[in-house]
Amino acid sequence: MTQAIQTAPLGRYRVKNVVRSEVAKIATLPSTAITLGLTVVASLLVTGLVSNAALHHAAPYYDGFDPTQQSLTGLIVAALTGGVFGALLITGEYSSGTIRSSLAATPRRPILLTAKLGVAAAATVVFCELLSFVSFFLGQAILSGGGAPSASLGSPGAFRAVTMTGLFIALFALMAFGFGLIFRSTAAAIAAFVGVVFVLPLVMRGISQPDLRYVPTNILTNSIMATVNQGPGGVVHPLSPAIGLLLMAIYAAIVLVAGVGLFVKRDA
Amino acid sequence: MITANLLTKRYGATKAVDNLTFEVPPGVVTGFLGPNGSGKSTTMRMIMGLDVPDSGSALIEGRPYSELPWPLREVGGLLDAKAFHPARTARSHLRWLALTNDIPLRRVDEVLDQVGLSSVANRRAGKFSLGMSQRLGIAATLLGDPGVLLFDEPINGLDPEGIRWVRHFLRGLAAEGRTVFVSSHLISEMSLTADRLVVIGRGRLIAETSVTDFVARTGRGAVKLLTPDVAVFTSALTAAGAKVGDGDGGALVVEGLTAPQIGDLAVRDGLRVHELMPITASLEDAFMELTHNEVEFRPPTMAGAVAAGAKE
Repeated sequence: MTQAIQTAPLGRYRVKNVVRSEVAKIATLPSTAITLGLTVVASLLVTGLVSNAALHHAAPYYDGFDPTQQSLTGLIVAALTGGVFGALLITGEYSSGTIRSSLAATPRRPILLTAKLGVAAAATVVFCELLSFVSFFLGQAILSGGGAPSASLGSPGAFRAVTMTGLFIALFALMAFGFGLIFRSTAAAIAAFVGVVFVLPLVMRGISQPDLRYVPTNILTNSIMATVNQGPGGVVHPLSPAIGLLLMAIYAAIVLVAGVGLFVKRDA
Repeated sequence: MITANLLTKRYGATKAVDNLTFEVPPGVVTGFLGPNGSGKSTTMRMIMGLDVPDSGSALIEGRPYSELPWPLREVGGLLDAKAFHPARTARSHLRWLALTNDIPLRRVDEVLDQVGLSSVANRRAGKFSLGMSQRLGIAATLLGDPGVLLFDEPINGLDPEGIRWVRHFLRGLAAEGRTVFVSSHLISEMSLTADRLVVIGRGRLIAETSVTDFVARTGRGAVKLLTPDVAVFTSALTAAGAKVGDGDGGALVVEGLTAPQIGDLAVRDGLRVHELMPITASLEDAFMELTHNEVEFRPPTMAGAVAAGAKE
């Protein structure tokens, strides 16, 4: 055997090696900048428009007005584009064939997936939190500039709403990542994500009178973003923020567990 | 060293790979030969741990691929020329690969240089021609300076210069003492590149031998003879117990005597010999003979095709 150009380090490849590689992968894909850039622009645009629309109304309009919720509305768009980002992280590997290079480099699938999921989670949480805060400050600046009631991070429930909204959006992205693991194709994964999150509730509403408090987008707007108790008497009280976030985490986990199970077993 | 032991893989009712047992030793190029669809790629994917065998095992230096501590430092595999994201540059593709196995990043530029892609290192790999993609794939196999290398159809889509380059390259790797396993359905190419052959058909092992033995085993042992003294020579040969037939260009095809024996006979009888040459079966002939019954989808024979055409 020839003299190796470099001798192998002791031990074996570990999660930290794969994490470094996954960070390099995300950083060198143009689709990262495109999907995240689009998310920022679209979310902040919606927040700006919605906040602006809340200006210059007669006093009764502001009864029960929730400036925090108002300033986070744009993040609903991020639920969609963030989902596309999450799905692409894994389906991009399948559609391009990169997954076979990844598995050849790091054949222990649980290690590869732990690193991939960890990097995806960290990246989306940091990004979504930042976006949530920026959206909040933008909205409040517009509201207070226009003389409408506004909030600060010190207002009751505001900090909780902003941080939880970021987390909640990140969970959408991770759920889409799970759909990516299951379907391995970008189109199928995004269709499944949009279908389950946005379309299924509409269909359900057409069939019966389901309890819409458990629908992800409703939890987001009514439980997570809101700081003012919704609805006068007679309207169903929304889930508490903690329960809402937990429920969404369970939804995402169900999809992820199914995807991870398939990924570990299936031929690449 | 790669060892396959009773390797089996089913897809539904079809056995893609059927009790395949063979060894790929270091220091020589071992060709993996078989018709399209004979199970070559599936076998290579099982060696690389991408597909799980239904039974049997494929081991690298005695260990399954998934248990290698630093896979890229032990095995370089090119199973698919386009196993990279088209939007990444050649350099970023190799960089993330290097990071997985703690390979120094200077290796990225070294291997790019080795395969002649330095000038396009920062170009998106999706814009590469098939030949450049193959080179990028080969660069990736070299990153960890591995002792075992696998290439699945590495010359597909290459121009003659590229084919020559790959051939010299593979032989060079083997000469350095590495284990080199290269699949192809191109028999002529294997006869130029490989020293040993693992031949399969319909997922089963047909032969595991050296290229020369493989050809000799199926060779007919005939000798081509060109002489102006056809009639006298023919009777002399027949008298000596040989079978004489007609070859191309007025030549005789002699079976049952070796070329030296025919030469001696000519001197004894004072007959003129213009050309005397043993007919070795080509690797292609040998392959066709052995895999005749193993080809899954055989095209109609030439005669059959002509007949079918005439009916129209």
